[in-house]
Amino acid sequence: MDVTQAKQEHLLALKVMRLTKPTLFTNLPVTCEDRDLPGDLFGQLMREDPSTIKGAETLMLGEMLTLPQNFGNIFLGETFSSYISVHNDSNQVVKDILVKADLQTSSQRLNLSASNSAVAELKPESCIDDVIHHEVKEIGTHILVCAVSYTTQYGEKLYFRKFFKFQVLKPLDVKTKFYNAETDEVFLEAQIQNITTSPMFMEKVSLEPSMMYNVTELNMVSSGDLGESTFGKMSYLQPMDTRQYLYCLKPKPEYAEKAGVIKGVTVIGKLDIVWKTNLGERGRLQTSQLQRMAPGYGDIRLSLEMIPDTVNLEEPFDIICKITNCSERTMDLELEMCNTRSIHWCGVSGRQLGKLSPAAFLSLPLTLLSSVQGLQSISGLRLTDTFLKRTYEYDDIAQVCVVCQYTSNEC
Amino acid sequence: MESGDAAAQRPVTLDITVEDVKTDAPVSPEPTSLQIPSRDLVLPTEDSIDLGGGEFASPQEVSIATPSESLMEKLNEQMMESVMISDSPLNSEENDVAPIDSFLDGEEEEEKEDDDEEEERENAGEISGDKQELSETGPTITTLQVPVEGHEGGASEEEVEEDTKEQTDSQEDAVAFFSPLVDTQDPQIDLQSEDPATEEASGMSPKHKPLPVCTIFSHGTHPKSLVPDGFQPTLIKSPSFSMGSGGGGDDAVTPTKLTAPLVCQPSPSLSKFFTDNGQTNPATDFFDSFTAPSDFISVSNPNAEIPPGASPAPIAPTPERQLSSTSSSISSAAGPLDSDTPTLITVFGPVPTETTTKTQPPTPQIVPAPTAPPASVPTTLPQPFNQLQAVFSGNDDPFATALSLSEVDRRHDAWQPSEETRKVLISVATQQFSPAFVETSKLTMPGLKFDNLQGDAVKDLMLRFLGEQAAMKRQVLNSNSVEQSFTGLKQLITSKNWRAAVDLTGRLLTAHGQGYGKAGQPTSHTTDSLQLWFVRLALLIKLNLFQNAELEFEPFGNLDHPDLYYEYYPTVYPGRRGSMLPFSMRLLHAELPQYLAKPQEALDRLHTLKTVCLAIVENLEKGLAEDGTMITLTPENRQASLKLWQSRLSRVMYSMANCLLLMKDYVLAVETYSSIIQYEPHQRVQLLSGIGRIFLQIGDVQTAEGYFQDVERACQMKGSQSSHITCMLMNRAFVHLSQNNYGEAHASFTEVLKIDPKNPVANNNAAVCLLYLGHLKESLGQLEGLVQQDPALYLHESVLFNLTTMYELESSRSTQKKQALLEAVACREGDSFNTQCLKLV
Repeated sequence: MDVTQAKQEHLLALKVMRLTKPTLFTNLPVTCEDRDLPGDLFGQLMREDPSTIKGAETLMLGEMLTLPQNFGNIFLGETFSSYISVHNDSNQVVKDILVKADLQTSSQRLNLSASNSAVAELKPESCIDDVIHHEVKEIGTHILVCAVSYTTQYGEKLYFRKFFKFQVLKPLDVKTKFYNAETDEVFLEAQIQNITTSPMFMEKVSLEPSMMYNVTELNMVSSGDLGESTFGKMSYLQPMDTRQYLYCLKPKPEYAEKAGVIKGVTVIGKLDIVWKTNLGERGRLQTSQLQRMAPGYGDIRLSLEMIPDTVNLEEPFDIICKITNCSERTMDLELEMCNTRSIHWCGVSGRQLGKLSPAAFLSLPLTLLSSVQGLQSISGLRLTDTFLKRTYEYDDIAQVCVVCQYTSNEC
Repeated sequence: MESGDAAAQRPVTLDITVEDVKTDAPVSPEPTSLQIPSRDLVLPTEDSIDLGGGEFASPQEVSIATPSESLMEKLNEQMMESVMISDSPLNSEENDVAPIDSFLDGEEEEEKEDDDEEEERENAGEISGDKQELSETGPTITTLQVPVEGHEGGASEEEVEEDTKEQTDSQEDAVAFFSPLVDTQDPQIDLQSEDPATEEASGMSPKHKPLPVCTIFSHGTHPKSLVPDGFQPTLIKSPSFSMGSGGGGDDAVTPTKLTAPLVCQPSPSLSKFFTDNGQTNPATDFFDSFTAPSDFISVSNPNAEIPPGASPAPIAPTPERQLSSTSSSISSAAGPLDSDTPTLITVFGPVPTETTTKTQPPTPQIVPAPTAPPASVPTTLPQPFNQLQAVFSGNDDPFATALSLSEVDRRHDAWQPSEETRKVLISVATQQFSPAFVETSKLTMPGLKFDNLQGDAVKDLMLRFLGEQAAMKRQVLNSNSVEQSFTGLKQLITSKNWRAAVDLTGRLLTAHGQGYGKAGQPTSHTTDSLQLWFVRLALLIKLNLFQNAELEFEPFGNLDHPDLYYEYYPTVYPGRRGSMLPFSMRLLHAELPQYLAKPQEALDRLHTLKTVCLAIVENLEKGLAEDGTMITLTPENRQASLKLWQSRLSRVMYSMANCLLLMKDYVLAVETYSSIIQYEPHQRVQLLSGIGRIFLQIGDVQTAEGYFQDVERACQMKGSQSSHITCMLMNRAFVHLSQNNYGEAHASFTEVLKIDPKNPVANNNAAVCLLYLGHLKESLGQLEGLVQQDPALYLHESVLFNLTTMYELESSRSTQKKQALLEAVACREGDSFNTQCLKLV
């Protein structure tokens, strides 16, 4: 924010100050009681102090604004604002002043001056003011290059420049993790860490899904009409704090039809993050497109379309399986059902399911019962492709809670 | 662009091969000419300024990039992957790896190397990371850093860099002023930097500096002339002392109504000492010998060094041996109170006869022990009545006084000592003395830890910038120019000469026997001596001299020693109970650590205070006395007591909230401020606004607006006072400000000025908004005008800081303008003025 003095041969002086938001002055309350030696003196001093809150002098945070005291840090996504002042230090009128402010980054050079026209003349003790704004889009060294050219009284053309170098730092660390649900849903956990040195209010952290998905944010606990954030009342992040955001992505129906076909790398979307710091200093970032490797399902995918949470002991219940042909060829399937220690399938094992062309699926209602209480894993389905004589085993397809409905009566 | 001709003067032009075309960012329409060949950089017309931030080694990069780290992460959470943040949304879509523009060949080599290294590491990290590193493919990532490689030839910008670094440094100095709360080093620096300057100012060698211990001489600027003839035997005493002793027939004490400059003489025992070497030796000798046994090095006074031969006396062992010496020093000033009552002798002197022999070599002078008590006998009357009078000055009948005050006393002094202390106090009350009883570790033995603040930073600056003549014109009260009494002290405080006031408290305490180097020596306390300590420590904190305050607070321990309670002095304060230590001092003690970067400790202490306050309030509500005893109180007394303790409770809560705010624990701070509303309903508007501002500080504008709406509702309920309208307008202005709408914010502040033209906050804030709107001259004009018209309101450090910042922005001649400010300050402000806001140095 400070500036070197221009070498004295120049008639104009260029000064630059970064305009971060002003800060609120805090005072330091020292009080005493009437019976103490100073009596009301301390109280009086505090009441006379213009920076205290009248009527509540012991409140530390005042209302007096103070200008930024140093350059501070600047982070990617924030707006770099700067005051540029060119002052005529001499006692002569200077003509044709052109002030140019450029920002040089590692990849490009941007012109930030509001106007590019020359000022016809500048009287002694006057100045040309400009406030520039630029949203910072690159990390690393930035150089503000201010160039001033002017003509003296005697027609001499002069020129000087100043460089102001600053580093743009990364404000956030974002990590993501995908969880594939048994259905086609994908859950995205995003860990966002504040790696600046000041608290950060997260105004918006949203997932902009790609065209294939619909997204549900899971960061609110809805109670009645008003949702409450899972992060509590205060939506700010202290330095080095991390917060986890959770999103649920569902393929849109038109894509869901082809769910079995979603293979390999898919684009999920990108996170859009807006934060604010001191007195509303704003920053915004987006992550690059988040990509996810769709889980491989092999040739045949077996998923569950319907299954009860809780079932009664030794009572049959129904589930609906969805069998999708993920391979490139038509299959002729045969279903085998093997009982496990707790799971007993009802119906005939080894029945033909018929032909299934690529990307086609069929829904298969099945009935089974459990002979053991507790959380039971449904296992024991075998599908055999009679064309290739290849058998696919499906164990641990889902879990179901088995309870004894008579427990309460008997005990 | 017309600058083409100017640019043409520069020899080399590098052209950018690909200028990326963006819709949002302003790009120069023509191929930008880059005229920065390295040899250009040595030309005098070019300055480069490193705006800092370079030193930030971006720790985050390490976390992503270092292979080992990422490996660790892989181990811990298999699927967690780091995502590169692309630049801002607008940029991310159409991304282009712009060719490196070899601008600034002159960049610091080292830095580049660092960058390269970092990149390499990063690349390595990402590659080794795993195949799942999907984000790597994101189109935007590469733009950030990769292009930088290789293109930088080392060039000679370093000279320029260095130049500018100096400047940035000095600028940082100026800036440091605003962080006193955080910067614990500050006070120390303060002191040290001031002292030499003071010496210059007074034109004395350090050896001849007036020292508080050795009395106060009337000559003000020429304390060198230590002519003993001029002495008038005067004790330095508080008014209460002198009046009390007057009643007691103490002739040795002259009334303190002497016109200033007052001549003071050390108390009897000291004067005896004084005659030994006082005539020939400058005061320092006396002082040195005095301070020798101390193991504390004075922060400020160069005279206070420990002589090489003298072994610093550990605190614990000395007191026992120097008991008699202490009793002599007690008798010197506090003599009327406690010196000779037989009980006290037993208390303090388990070995009254064993004295000088065991003391350290440098101290024998102070320990004329056996003679000291007798010497003080004539000046003191051991009757308790007399002592009481000394405490409650100006009352004819001590008994009546005691009775009439007892209600108020009990109310204010109530406190809950710890169990251990309580036992000691009970045993004192029941007269169960035993030699083992006096454990010095359980006593408070304070002493000044540094002696002389006596600086006037304003004057020093004047000497430096305006010359001696101008500096001579500065007239402020100092500790010599006021009455050496509480009255003088108050005068100094009111005139904002807090440094001088601290000095004066030092003298008064020295007279009480708790002077420099007396820490660790047994002493006794009176209401007045503790009040003096309170004022001294409060002023030190007001002066931001937190470390000094901490040093001097240290002997007080946790403020629960038995000798800080009235019960400990049954003869001096018969029948009086409770804490002799003022509540305000407990609060001060609790608040202090937060300014020394130990907020947790401050919170602990504040919670202890809160617990006691709550307990007392509860007692009162249950119909008991403050301390839980079954004394019946009249309804009025109970009401008054409840009111007092609730106000104390809310004061403690305020401190806790302030401390939490300093800790940036906004959740708890807001909660605490909210809970104060129930105790101080009349401060509802201010508190809610304050909470709103906290949210603005965090950046949560929406929640802030919610609170501001509550404020408006509260205002409407209370009817439209102008102060409330002001408050509402201010809040609106702050919201506009937070929405980057400086124009509206300015309008709101101006609106406030229509109602309250003299509102300093609105005036200052409006000027600040003007600057953000690009109207530097207007803004400056407004602030300057204010400072000239109404210096009483606007010579405030925040305003001056803004003003000097704008001066710096305006022209290269800011120093002259700042000097003019200094002159304005010199006419009005006392020695406590914080000169850093002038940014002259």
